Amino acid sequence: MPRLIMLAALAGFLCVGGFWQPHDPDAVDMLARHSGMTASHLLGTDHVGRDLLSRIMAGGWRTACVVLSVGAIGFLFGTLLGTAAAVLGGWRETVILRFCEFFVMVPTLIVALTAAATFGLSPLSAGLALGLAGIGPHALLAHSLSQRVLGQPFILAARSLGVAPLRMIARHLLPNTLPLMYAYVGNQAGLAAVAYASLAFIGLGADPSKPDWGSMLFEYRMFIFDHPMLMIWPGAAIALVTVLLNGFFDNDRA
Amino acid sequence: MRLARFGIQSIAGLLAVSLASFSVITLMPADPVAIAIRVWSLPATEETVAALRAEWGLDQPLPVRYLHWLADFLGGDWGRSFRTGEPVLAEFAERLPVSLTLGLAGLALAIGLAIPLGFFSAAYPGGTADRMSRALSVFVQAVPAFWLGLVLLWVLGVQLRWLRPFVNDWTAIVLPVLLIALHSVAVLARVYRRDLKETAEQPHFRTALAKGLSEKQALWRHGHRSALYALLSAVRSEAGWVIGSTATMEILFGLAGISQFLVQSIAARDQMVLQAYVMVIAIWMLVMNAGANLAMRLLDPRLA
Repeated sequence: MPRLIMLAALAGFLCVGGFWQPHDPDAVDMLARHSGMTASHLLGTDHVGRDLLSRIMAGGWRTACVVLSVGAIGFLFGTLLGTAAAVLGGWRETVILRFCEFFVMVPTLIVALTAAATFGLSPLSAGLALGLAGIGPHALLAHSLSQRVLGQPFILAARSLGVAPLRMIARHLLPNTLPLMYAYVGNQAGLAAVAYASLAFIGLGADPSKPDWGSMLFEYRMFIFDHPMLMIWPGAAIALVTVLLNGFFDNDRA
Repeated sequence: MRLARFGIQSIAGLLAVSLASFSVITLMPADPVAIAIRVWSLPATEETVAALRAEWGLDQPLPVRYLHWLADFLGGDWGRSFRTGEPVLAEFAERLPVSLTLGLAGLALAIGLAIPLGFFSAAYPGGTADRMSRALSVFVQAVPAFWLGLVLLWVLGVQLRWLRPFVNDWTAIVLPVLLIALHSVAVLARVYRRDLKETAEQPHFRTALAKGLSEKQALWRHGHRSALYALLSAVRSEAGWVIGSTATMEILFGLAGISQFLVQSIAARDQMVLQAYVMVIAIWMLVMNAGANLAMRLLDPRLA
């Protein structure tokens, strides 16, 4: 329960960050450079006087978009493909599994890197690329879970009672596989937050003026001599999001 | 027979990767001719555009261009970079050693550290090594390697003054290798430990204990081999993670590797560089996979 509250608080913070920030995240104020933590700039300002908290909030919203789309795409299509493979069987199962294994082999960050190089980096394209890369492992997990459930006696019972295939999947198969899939999707979503930060850090931003946690770290890395807090905060934000996501979804040590 | 099948599968995989990436890259919205004209400040007349299109074969349909590219690629002509005008192959040949050193050293260090860590956490459950490896695996999942690198630079470079941050000396190689290895150490140690634990429940392990071996001796003599096998099969997927983290490390520490070159080329939508990069990564994954498979086969004669 405390985990749920913390996760809800985080989600609330990230959503608020999309629409409201205490200051304009791009407003330059040369008089308030490196102001340190003050009442009006809670986390201080950067080298051109932009409010750090506002930038973290705006970047958080972009991160949240990525994490959500990665989770949704990977979960939806992965479950669909994996379950379909297990239910259909035969050559279709082989084709789907081969395809997914091929996808698993290709490094996720490289897929995203290629996508970012091709289409430019935005929360949408990064989320799409990372999500597509996540389909493979999701599908393989869904397949192995479904197969284990399909071997159970109650499936045989349902089948001999004449339950229609779709009803069988909805009533008997998915309720048994989905809980474990949730745990996995949370884990993957945490990884996605880190991957998106890595991409932005590398500097694949189509629009470098927009604040992203990764690109902020890249921009502020030169200030580690005089103003280390500038690079502590965005990194702490990334770590917090990942820890909360992993901690919430990984509660039964799947 | 198995070897031939493996060879055919690998080549088919490489061809599939090259075709997929070639299609995606050539279908991308940016027009290389327009970029070339802008970058090289050529006169944007009809003739130049047509000449460039004909020279690069852009006026031909996609399959023809793909076959052309494939023939050139195999013949050692990886095209020219739009940005620098240099042959891509020469640029890659110069930068590849840096990336390979990072990746291979990171992976080797990870394997070297994961075995003792995994072994002692299996031998003493709940002991220091066990708790350390558990904490490490939570830690590396949450903290991106590049941020940890920044924090380390701050602590070691600014606070303790043991090294000079952002300077190209030996620390700029050692730190990235350590950071790359850290993630894989955590993953591999857990895999290794889990397999040792599984062995410890087998009947033959109990026989070994009954013979009078100590728990540690029995784990090492009877468990290590199969645990190493499990570890190697995890190395296959870690190889992808390692090459991904070399990218952020090259940017953070300013190392002249292939990922840095790619990132510099992206602004110019440098298609040949991107294509070559994808192929190099595909070959890296293939070689790591083959190497791990070979080592696994040597470990387990039943597979041969």
